[in-house]
Amino acid sequence: MYGGGNTFEGIKTDNLAQEDPIKLAAFEARIARGEKIEPTDWMPQLYRKQLIRMIEQHAHSEIIGALPEGTWITRAPGFKRKMSLMAKVQDEVGHAQLLYSAAETLGKSREQMIDDLINGKSKYSNIFNYPTFTWADCCFISWLVDAGAIVNQLANAKGSYGPYCRALDRICAEESFHLKYGHHCVIYLASGTAKQRQMFQEALNRWWPPMMHFFGPSDKISAHTEVLMRWKVKMGTNDEMRNQFLDMYVPKIWELGFTIPDPNLKKNESGKWEYTEPDWEEFKRVINGDGPCNKERLEVRRIAEARGKWVREALKTPKMSYVTPLA
Amino acid sequence: MNSLDPRVNRLPQITEAVLPKAALDQFGTYEVFVQPKEGKPFQHEGIVHAPNLELAWVLAKETFTRRFTCASLYVVDTRDVYVSPLTEGDKNVYDVLPQVAEQSGSKKNFEIYHLVKRGKQHVHVGTVQAVLPQEAMHLAGKQFNHSKVVFNVWAIATDTIRFTTDEEKELWLTLPEKKFRDASDYKGGDKLKEFLEKSNFN
Repeated sequence: MYGGGNTFEGIKTDNLAQEDPIKLAAFEARIARGEKIEPTDWMPQLYRKQLIRMIEQHAHSEIIGALPEGTWITRAPGFKRKMSLMAKVQDEVGHAQLLYSAAETLGKSREQMIDDLINGKSKYSNIFNYPTFTWADCCFISWLVDAGAIVNQLANAKGSYGPYCRALDRICAEESFHLKYGHHCVIYLASGTAKQRQMFQEALNRWWPPMMHFFGPSDKISAHTEVLMRWKVKMGTNDEMRNQFLDMYVPKIWELGFTIPDPNLKKNESGKWEYTEPDWEEFKRVINGDGPCNKERLEVRRIAEARGKWVREALKTPKMSYVTPLA
Repeated sequence: MNSLDPRVNRLPQITEAVLPKAALDQFGTYEVFVQPKEGKPFQHEGIVHAPNLELAWVLAKETFTRRFTCASLYVVDTRDVYVSPLTEGDKNVYDVLPQVAEQSGSKKNFEIYHLVKRGKQHVHVGTVQAVLPQEAMHLAGKQFNHSKVVFNVWAIATDTIRFTTDEEKELWLTLPEKKFRDASDYKGGDKLKEFLEKSNFN
């Protein structure tokens, strides 16, 4: 899972003038031809910096995203659901491993990335700063947050950086399990008792605003990302991704007889979805640390790091040294 | 903490500051190679961080082979992979590798990997016997450089690899009746159809 919309605020393209123009032209021509960039290829500093930022945020989102779902493993309704949820949460943590590895090929160490997560320097997807009150909240995440993630990840898998694309190919294949599992869970709630339907409707009411935030600020107010689109770092605007999600999943939600808590939600004649503008002030407030679960999420990670330190130290051997992963 | 999760509330309080991680807190890296099916070549899948080869193998199994079919995997310390330059366009990397004379000394096996499409994985093409990895690449150029342009070559001394034993391969054998090996095994369609027929939402 992953929310990709908040990664590109305030980029400065001034330092592109300091790049070697011949190398820059060759780099852009390679991307325009549809070839992938590999770790040992020349790349502009801005490309490297933005990719590290994006892939690292994606990795953090996988790690932190495992927490609101993981909390329901012990209370999942039945053995099958428990097994499936355990496998899903293990997938998400595995995805973080793949993504940290891809970011490492760009030169940032895993130690530094984990430090930056714990001390709040790096961000992760805003949606995981909300609590999962009931099993239905967990089902919402498994189906619809993962659906949003797949929209982002399928797009990014066509990007330009080879190691990230290869990681995403594997991640998308595993996410397809999550999507089907989540839909399966929601169908069972929808076709269950009145209380079960009510549970999911209430979860939908709680999660719809964060879900609309998930794709990042509206194109009207988000930073200019033309160069990142040209370099295939960013594969679509936030509004394009949001529209694609709405196009694919609103009909499925309506099909189940649930009400989406936005009276203005409709598809216009040009095929675009219209909706009430999400509360971007809340989005900023939560991303800056003032959401319902920000402190808990980071504290859990901090405690895990502290408690695991003796194990890591015990396993260290004098023969170790670090080299950048190959691909 | 005042969490909805009782397990989080039971976590011990850590009062001391978590210091920045020391170098190698996350250990070194190991490259992972997977054989998806019997008869198919091994291909590079990615890396794991681990304190040693044995744990690298365990972590590789968990990270790369839980969801999809796998016949075998192996791991090797990243430092033990000898890497050629990366070429582009129609330039074959074997054309730029230096000629290496046959070396005297004890020969050993090297596993050779090729990258024939940028953006894809390195795939195993065969094994050569040589004294040095540079010599192994030179020999690989004679034996495996046939038709496609090769952009990058890896040579790995076979004795540095942690292979999967025959006994361990049973880990990936699953019963024919085992369910949920595919996303499509989550079949909600019938229940959804029945539900839609009874309901009047649409």
